[in-house]
Amino acid sequence: MDLDALILARLQFAFTIAFHIIFPSFTIGLAAFLAVLEGLWLATRRQVFRNLYLFWVKIFAISFGMGVVSGVVMSYQLGTNWSEFSKVASPVIGPLLAFEVLTAFFLEASFLGVMLFGWRKVGPRLHFAATVLVAIGTLISAFWILSANSWMQHPVAYEQLADGSLRATDWWGVIFNPTFPSRFLHMTLAAFLTTSLVVGAASAWQLLRDSAQPESRMALRMAIGMFAIVAPLQLFAGHLSGEVVRVHQPLKLAAIEAYWETRADQPQSLAGIPDRDAARTHYEVAIPGVGNLIQGVPRSEVLAGLDRFPREDWPVVWLVYWAFRVMVGLGLAMIALGIWGVVMILRRTVDRATWFLRATVAMGPSGFVAVIAGWIVAEVGRQPWTIYGVLRTADSVSPVGAGQVSASLLAFMVIYATVFSAGAVYILRLMARGPASGEPPPEAEPETAGRAPGSPLAAAPAEPKEG
Amino acid sequence: MPVTIEPPPGPDDPPPPLWRRLAWFLGLALASAAATAAVAYALKGLLV
Repeated sequence: MDLDALILARLQFAFTIAFHIIFPSFTIGLAAFLAVLEGLWLATRRQVFRNLYLFWVKIFAISFGMGVVSGVVMSYQLGTNWSEFSKVASPVIGPLLAFEVLTAFFLEASFLGVMLFGWRKVGPRLHFAATVLVAIGTLISAFWILSANSWMQHPVAYEQLADGSLRATDWWGVIFNPTFPSRFLHMTLAAFLTTSLVVGAASAWQLLRDSAQPESRMALRMAIGMFAIVAPLQLFAGHLSGEVVRVHQPLKLAAIEAYWETRADQPQSLAGIPDRDAARTHYEVAIPGVGNLIQGVPRSEVLAGLDRFPREDWPVVWLVYWAFRVMVGLGLAMIALGIWGVVMILRRTVDRATWFLRATVAMGPSGFVAVIAGWIVAEVGRQPWTIYGVLRTADSVSPVGAGQVSASLLAFMVIYATVFSAGAVYILRLMARGPASGEPPPEAEPETAGRAPGSPLAAAPAEPKEG
Repeated sequence: MPVTIEPPPGPDDPPPPLWRRLAWFLGLALASAAATAAVAYALKGLLV
């Protein structure tokens, strides 16, 4: 394979967006979790909610910062590596991204300051308002990004001008295009699920060391409640999203399910090695006669296979096929973990259920993996188009050389490996310390070890004194 | 100076007057927005 500028630019975008999506998919859910914790503290004044808030808000602040930094890089790439795409699509995509900055990012950035630095200064109720506004801001941000991406998946309400650029003819049609609602729901639930799994894993980790730790006991129950409810809902939302794909992007569905032939009564492929050149799946394990039913259509209805479309329009089938199966497999594991957790809570053994706690720790990163797999399905499944059916990826890339793109790709890899690894290690260290260990009591706030109480560094172990 | 995440007031702490709380709320929000805008313009300045 020749590593030309196009492949390198795609690699760079895939690399940077895979890093970036980790943070918003965590902070969307974490902001809502913080709002719930603070609301419960306001309503009950129980110390456990306050301690949990002060613990998770540090992790939120670090994750939010890393999400912003990695997100800025994404928009720069539209100019550096994808200038042809920007030239054609910016009259439509540009305003959507600008709305995201103006309505969501500034809302989050403004009230994050109150969240972090103003609890005593503004009082509990105004501080709660700030937390809720930040949580709403994260959702508004997801709204605009999903709207822009959904329009690229299914462009509607636009016209093409003589110079090739696109112009919106109906902004409501662009923003609320038919693929948007189900994809927004699917992504929002994925974010809540991801956060609940991380909170569950961090709490389970603490309980494996001390099963009486009150903050972790509470957080584990809240996390189990969340993923026990959201994981089955996500299965439903994913199915809705799949139905939209069947209607608007039948080629993508054919790649996801490895439907090589257009036919009625499609089989349901469970596993195998899709071979794009041979147009078949090797060593396939499939259930005959079930595919149509899973797609929600009668067995007699003809479902489009890859053979209906020109071969040059096919995406990389094996990648889409397996990314989808990883996402669904992890989703089913999350449902099973939720059921197991509820049973443990009902039996009142959840804090000492060693195998359940270990499984919860192991499932901690699964939300991130599922989110990245889901985005691979969405984005690789759309190839070879950046704007489906309108602008090919090959025609979207900037007129730059492979050397230029590979230099920036290498720089990104080195910087990301350094900055984000440090951030991730720091967050993991905070999680390993747990909520109660780093929090000062509410009245006495000793300036121990020269670290301000409540600061992120206060959770880190004290350095040994010299001499 | 370490970045301090401010804990909530204690149960016996007298609440500051409403005008002062509102002023802090507005001031912190505007300062945060201004800081964000300053960073954004600095980044834009680097590019243009």
